[in-house]
Amino acid sequence: MARDLRNTMKVVVLGGNGAMGAGSGEVFAAAGIPTVLLARTRDKAETGRARIESMAKAEAISALVTTGSYDDDLAREVADADLIFEAVSEDLDLKRVYFEQVDAARKPDSIVATVSSGLSIAAMTDGRSDSFARHFLGIHFFNPPNVIVGCELIPHAGTDPEVTAFVEALLAGPLGREVVKTSDTPAFAGNRVGFKVLNEVAQLAEQHGVAYMDALIGPHTGRAMSPLVTVDFVGWDVHKAIVDNVAANTSDEANAAFALPGYMAKLIDAGHLGNKTPATGGFYRAADQQTFVLDPTSGDYRPAAEVVAEPPEIALQMKAAIRVGRYGRAMEIFATARGDDADLMRKVVLGYISYGLGRVGEIVEQPRDVDRIMGFGFNWAPPSVLVDDLGARRTVQLLETAGLPVPRCIVGAAERNQPLFAEPNVDTGRFYFA
Amino acid sequence: MTRPVYILGGYQTDFARNWKKENKHIAALIREAVLGGFDATALAPDDVDVGHVGNFAAELYCMQGHLGAFLVDVDPALSGLPTARHEAACASGSIAVLAASAEIQANRYDCALVVGVEQMKTVNPAVGGDYLGTAAWYELEAKGVEFPFPKLFGKLGDEYDKRYGLKDEHLAHISAVNYDNAKRNPKAQTRSWYMSEEHARGEGKYNSVIGGRLKVTDCSQVTDGAVSLLLASEAFAADYAAKRGIGVESLPQILGWGHRTAPLTFADKVAESAEDRYVLPQTRRAITDALERADTDISQLSAIETHDCFTTSEYMAIDHFGLTEPGESWRAIEDGVIDFDGTLPINPSGGLIGCGHPVGATGVRQLLDAYKQVTGTAGDYQVPGATRVATLNIGGSGTTSCVFVVG
Repeated sequence: MARDLRNTMKVVVLGGNGAMGAGSGEVFAAAGIPTVLLARTRDKAETGRARIESMAKAEAISALVTTGSYDDDLAREVADADLIFEAVSEDLDLKRVYFEQVDAARKPDSIVATVSSGLSIAAMTDGRSDSFARHFLGIHFFNPPNVIVGCELIPHAGTDPEVTAFVEALLAGPLGREVVKTSDTPAFAGNRVGFKVLNEVAQLAEQHGVAYMDALIGPHTGRAMSPLVTVDFVGWDVHKAIVDNVAANTSDEANAAFALPGYMAKLIDAGHLGNKTPATGGFYRAADQQTFVLDPTSGDYRPAAEVVAEPPEIALQMKAAIRVGRYGRAMEIFATARGDDADLMRKVVLGYISYGLGRVGEIVEQPRDVDRIMGFGFNWAPPSVLVDDLGARRTVQLLETAGLPVPRCIVGAAERNQPLFAEPNVDTGRFYFA
Repeated sequence: MTRPVYILGGYQTDFARNWKKENKHIAALIREAVLGGFDATALAPDDVDVGHVGNFAAELYCMQGHLGAFLVDVDPALSGLPTARHEAACASGSIAVLAASAEIQANRYDCALVVGVEQMKTVNPAVGGDYLGTAAWYELEAKGVEFPFPKLFGKLGDEYDKRYGLKDEHLAHISAVNYDNAKRNPKAQTRSWYMSEEHARGEGKYNSVIGGRLKVTDCSQVTDGAVSLLLASEAFAADYAAKRGIGVESLPQILGWGHRTAPLTFADKVAESAEDRYVLPQTRRAITDALERADTDISQLSAIETHDCFTTSEYMAIDHFGLTEPGESWRAIEDGVIDFDGTLPINPSGGLIGCGHPVGATGVRQLLDAYKQVTGTAGDYQVPGATRVATLNIGGSGTTSCVFVVG
């Protein structure tokens, strides 16, 4: 039977009290879809409902949201659900416990999805029924889902193509998502490309310092938030899980960039997880109304005022150009500045362009898939935007000079002398921050 | 017979952006709008003869005046361009269009660049509300008043209620339609926000009263944005069309305009209209002036882009445009006339409530959306077969009214 988007449906969210569960629940309910939040207790699920009201800034959205507990309500609610959306902790064994219960209770044509940010989708179907496996896929929203519209859709080899097509239409249509379909490979597309950069910056911080690296690869290189501030925001435990998974299960030219720095491993063991552990901190720690910065070599924290010098000249020049909207001028400075600062900035940013667009054909089908997930999921300048502002021919030269692989699509854009970024309704200026 | 003024196209920045968070100067807003306009029309800087900027209060929001000069900053080829900045509160953008089109009609210039711009997220809402109070008679109506404008437009609703009766559910529908339309507009500020008619009808923590009878959902947004528009004389447009292998008649024109200013205080406006069937008779005159100059009957309009700074201003626009008898705007609301698929959709873009309201840019944005509708280039928010679209842009509490008919 053909599924009808207009009559979709009933969604059950497992882990409905968490940030990703409640945030995803908001996306479903905001589209007018009746949504059930399940958690260990109904009271916990109710906290998810309050979060949804707060995210939507509307009490009225609650009319579509009901709550329940796994023990009392899972079997009954799942039985007539059209979509079961799993958002419990990022722990494969724990997820499998719930999937077993879902498999036993679900109706044959219901769809089951996980919000996992990078675990193997196929592995989650081990031991499950054929029907479950055919109707199972990954829907990776980024946190917070009600704000960040980019999302990844990850079918595994056994997913029914009709199910994938239906979910893609649901996400792109009523749910208003920017959907990127990726292969079922470690960390999918966005986190694979993004955490390569984040971890590389963390590695370089050991030699160059935390504050310096964040100042060098800061917002002027096309991101709202500096890289190590981002890692603190994401959480060091999550960062470690993602880079360890990629390091162990992939083998491309950037494999070494996914090796977690030793100082991070030690500090994670000592409870330094970033913003979620304010007392111990991460790269930064707020205390006594001032900010302290980690010294990776000693593990000590020093007042920011002592270690944060004036940003490198190249960063100041790029910021001045971006502030008045001269993005091409900023990239001209990026391409032509001399010195160690400029070389290091180019190494990281050109590495991002090379690695990001280099995944085309492996993780995603087209350059625009990488661009959309980095732009709408990470809020980073899509690689193609940087290529266009640098010029494709010059980008090829810079990549060759840096000894980085040159993605085919950049060569093609250089040959055709045409822009690479292909989103006519997007202001590319929004990706540059001064 | 006046000379025709053609619209060649333009560009709108994404109204969801926060330029303070991007740490950008208002020069960047103007620059993106101008370059986007050149890109959209395939015109070059040296094609332009004159530049006009509409802006309300950059001196307050950004500590920056003399905005006309920022057009010249965009490209060395623009050095020497005659420019000016125009201010008439929320109608500033339309005044810039009027000035540019008058110069084309006077045969002074052949191609004019118009930019409407406002950067408003530089200050907190209370300070911004105070700045907006300067669009009223500040000492009499705004000084020391928290959020003066919702209160003034709340009074507009009260005046309707007193004369004809007004139900808040009709205002809620206006809000819901604008938000719903904005979801189809990829440049609209609220395109990914939650909204429902139930929420707009309700009152609570997340939909509190802002002024009089107006709640959060009745209000337009605090928005950063810039919009460019390129206007041309018949000779320029004919040449432009010939180079593209199209007929000049396929390019839209500004068919008519209306421009009236009422007494500044709301109390004086109400006193003036006490014996009138229309609550804001000068706004009504601006509309009828424009329709007459365009030789257009309301039945010939495919859509209206109106000034819904608050739901009450759109409620007023419905009867003032003549969709209903005075005081009966609710009929058009109940009959679904103004809905996206109605017989005369209002604000297919989402309007000021849904698309956003960067004050000095709004009038230019309305003209650009009218252009997109009549050229069939409005994408997902295209009104099928649109041939003629009217705009209404209002400064102050119904003080300066500007109307255009595009087709």
